[in-house]
Amino acid sequence: MSTPEPIDCHEAAERLYEYLDGELTPQMEASVREHLKACAPCFGLSEFEKSFLSFLHARTRARQAPEHLKKRIFEQVLFDRGSPENE
Amino acid sequence: MATASEERRKAFEREALPHLDAVYRVALRLSGGEAQADDLTQETMLKAYRSWHQYKTGTNVRAWLLTILRHTFINQYRKAKRAGPTVDIGEIESYSIFHDVQEVDPEGAFFKQIVDDEVLRAIDSLPDEFRETLVLSDIEQLSYAEIAEITGVPVGTVKSRLFRARQALQKLLYDYAVEMGYIQEVKK
Repeated sequence: MSTPEPIDCHEAAERLYEYLDGELTPQMEASVREHLKACAPCFGLSEFEKSFLSFLHARTRARQAPEHLKKRIFEQVLFDRGSPENE
Repeated sequence: MATASEERRKAFEREALPHLDAVYRVALRLSGGEAQADDLTQETMLKAYRSWHQYKTGTNVRAWLLTILRHTFINQYRKAKRAGPTVDIGEIESYSIFHDVQEVDPEGAFFKQIVDDEVLRAIDSLPDEFRETLVLSDIEQLSYAEIAEITGVPVGTVKSRLFRARQALQKLLYDYAVEMGYIQEVKK
């Protein structure tokens, strides 16, 4: 495999969310990864953003559709006998 | 023998209903209220059920449901005024809070002291297009391509909205944490 194209701090910061979201091409991903290995300030930023995103996900994911709504949907949507079958 | 409507019901139960929680969570953040989220979710599921023949088996059913949800919201609910204030995202500088806090709290431990309701309130104060992008990405973990499909914008727009929404949210949560004394404000 060829060595990844070097990038500067500005580009690493710009690409960071895409990197953490797994949205980069393999080449660009390798470039960001190499930059983070070599650059302590960017690595710090990356760790901070990574923990912010996992915090956000953990704090917002717990909600589920309430039971009364599940029941309502089951009864009124799936067994909606009044509704026309073919619209 | 199973009738066509029984077949449809079974297929819908098997494929669409497992995504009910996701539909509800997104409905809750779009509409901003529990009663509205209930109605919006029900209406979405009803529309999806009635147009089930349009769904192509094997394609992304969650994205399909969320697209219906979004259209329903825009057509019927968006006009109703939302409860909370909306922040002006143009007023918020686009840069990571890390640069402010790296000396005192490089790991962002202060975030963890913020209660869930406050996190949700901050998300709810983002303007519609930024909020929906962030919700689809950071709560539901959809890919940029899926979000682009659902919101009808190019992937590049998803990227830039997500970037700005996340940085705005960080700033809102940081300001709240400072106000609550979870972290000392660092003077720039």
